[in-house]
Amino acid sequence: MFVNTVDVMNKLKKNDPREIEQICKATWESLYRFIYYKVQNRQEAEDITQETYVKALNYLKEHEYADQNFLGFLRAIALNVIRDRWRQKKRRGIPVNFENINPLATMTQDHQKEVVQRILLENALAKLSRDQRMVIDLRIIKGYSVAEAAKQVGKTEAAVRTAQYRALKNLAELLAENPETGVTKQ
Amino acid sequence: MNELENRLSDYIDSLNEEQEPEQQWGVADTPEMEKLLATVRTVRTLKEPAMPDTGYPERLAQAVTAQVTASKGSQEKQKRAAGRRSPRWVFPSVAALAAGLLIFAILSAWSGLFNGDVVYAMEKAVARLSNYHGIMEMRTQNAAGEEWPVRQVELWWEGEKYAMRQEDGTLTVNNGERKWQVRPESKVVALLPVVPDPVKTGFDLRDEAARATKYPHHVVGTEFIAGREATKLEILPPGGLPYHLWIDTETHLPIQLQTAMENSLQTTYTFAAFEPDTKLDANMFVFQVPEGYELEEEDPGQLVVAVEEAAAISRLSPLLPQEAPERIFAFEDRIVLDYGDTVIVETAAEGSLEPVPNSALGTAAGGPLEVWWERLRWHQGGLEIQVEGPKRIQLARQIAPDLALPDTAMDLVSKAQVKVPVELELVKANQQQVDRGSSPWQLDPLQVAVTFVNLEVTPEGIQGEPEIPFSAFKVTENNGIQARVEVTGGPIKQVYLERLIRQDETGIWTVVGYDPR
Repeated sequence: MFVNTVDVMNKLKKNDPREIEQICKATWESLYRFIYYKVQNRQEAEDITQETYVKALNYLKEHEYADQNFLGFLRAIALNVIRDRWRQKKRRGIPVNFENINPLATMTQDHQKEVVQRILLENALAKLSRDQRMVIDLRIIKGYSVAEAAKQVGKTEAAVRTAQYRALKNLAELLAENPETGVTKQ
Repeated sequence: MNELENRLSDYIDSLNEEQEPEQQWGVADTPEMEKLLATVRTVRTLKEPAMPDTGYPERLAQAVTAQVTASKGSQEKQKRAAGRRSPRWVFPSVAALAAGLLIFAILSAWSGLFNGDVVYAMEKAVARLSNYHGIMEMRTQNAAGEEWPVRQVELWWEGEKYAMRQEDGTLTVNNGERKWQVRPESKVVALLPVVPDPVKTGFDLRDEAARATKYPHHVVGTEFIAGREATKLEILPPGGLPYHLWIDTETHLPIQLQTAMENSLQTTYTFAAFEPDTKLDANMFVFQVPEGYELEEEDPGQLVVAVEEAAAISRLSPLLPQEAPERIFAFEDRIVLDYGDTVIVETAAEGSLEPVPNSALGTAAGGPLEVWWERLRWHQGGLEIQVEGPKRIQLARQIAPDLALPDTAMDLVSKAQVKVPVELELVKANQQQVDRGSSPWQLDPLQVAVTFVNLEVTPEGIQGEPEIPFSAFKVTENNGIQARVEVTGGPIKQVYLERLIRQDETGIWTVVGYDPR
């Protein structure tokens, strides 16, 4: 759904709480999904979604903003919130990898990038051996425990951990060949 | 090495349990480890996100409104109201634990706090299931509570094989290699095409498990179904009416499904008997023609080993992906390449490609590409190629490297010279009407545009043939979310449409603007 930033600014000018609620209800899912893909955690995605709206709407209340794509604007703010959180974690001594994020490019290109990334990822997965693909599928995509995955593939738990490690190592190399996947070379 | 493998494994477990692993311990202490963790996170993007519970949008909207409208002093109090209702990390003190348990006891009674666990357990149980035998009952009720006669089917299922017996004795079997139907009334055994097989997905428990994880859902209680205790889930498809799924608390498998009351009718599917992981009669899936029965073939296709063989039987020159299929089927008029979960069907192309009305449009081999649900379809080299299943994009690109999917980020409607005001409540009601099976024309952007333009011309209503005929309209762009329709006659030259409620093939189109001529 395309939501025009100008429409949002006009709604905010009315100072009617119902208008703000309506903006959130109409757009939250798309924003939440975008954030979840970045942080991979439900609670954190919920928190960042809320923080993003507050920052974005407070900004639009007091400033004019030329770009019409409100969802693109929200995504750019969300990325800044995520980066701030990562910086805080780093300050607390938790090692965090900073992705090469360009919020401006994200506003317009992120969906296309997601599609490209998905295709590259699926291609890379297809290059793994059948066993490795299966372990990745069971453990990461289906979310099985090591014991459950071991039962499914008929191997020991240690063998599953080893297969998983090797699969991810191979996959990391394959993905590093394409910078668009977000996994970089050393 | 073991240490690395174990830490990587623990990291995956933490993510699977929706925890923040970095918060607990700094795992990425070497560049190599960080690269592996980044890869785990990247792979996880293929997974559907864990969605918040159903009350979240409401709480979010309220919290944001409060923070945006409130003075600075009161903002701090409102902070974090929407996000979580219980502590995320339970501190290891007795007091904190006791408080946490109390909060859980209060909240879980009404909020379905641990929905994720019920659905997660079901997904796992369904994936673990090796076979089952069951009796499924179908009961249809109308809004007045009157019930239609109960219908029953007996089912045997094992991996890729199934058998289904209807009440009239008709037995349909698909053993992965052949599909046939034994019809006792006419004493006929009919051979049917093995793939694609739409019947198979009709009772596949994996589909229900997948749907429950995809849509917002919450626990509404516990009930006894067919003598078994079951957790009742309410599932809310976006913009649609809620329906219910019951999950056996002991086996974690779906036991009953009740559709929404649509068109004053509601159907309940119940496993009246269900034996998971049982011993099935091996002969059940063996093809044999009982004595006194006649064999009828409805071009079931032949399993061939080489594509050349398939080409000779079908008299087609197939286009092939680099990846070899698991099986090749040749029919008189088509070739089917079976990749397990994905199937490619190639037939001779006739005329130009006519995309189904509610499909999105991309391009492939220099022509239009139809994108409809999990299916891609286009013309190339005199063939009509259809690829259906999860690996469709990857396989289709191996045939048509220039294949371009619809660009959903592209804004197609904001340039409209005249904006048409939209009443969202009315659109929602229309969507529900279409969900109930009425006015399906609203799923077709062309028909919505024809109706809109003709009502502008004759506001009193369309009598007989519309004044601006169908032939004057053409969908020029459709990315699945927004669409543009060109009109060659009349007062409007372009109509802009959008799927406002649901952005998939079940979502209705609404006119949001137009350009006068």
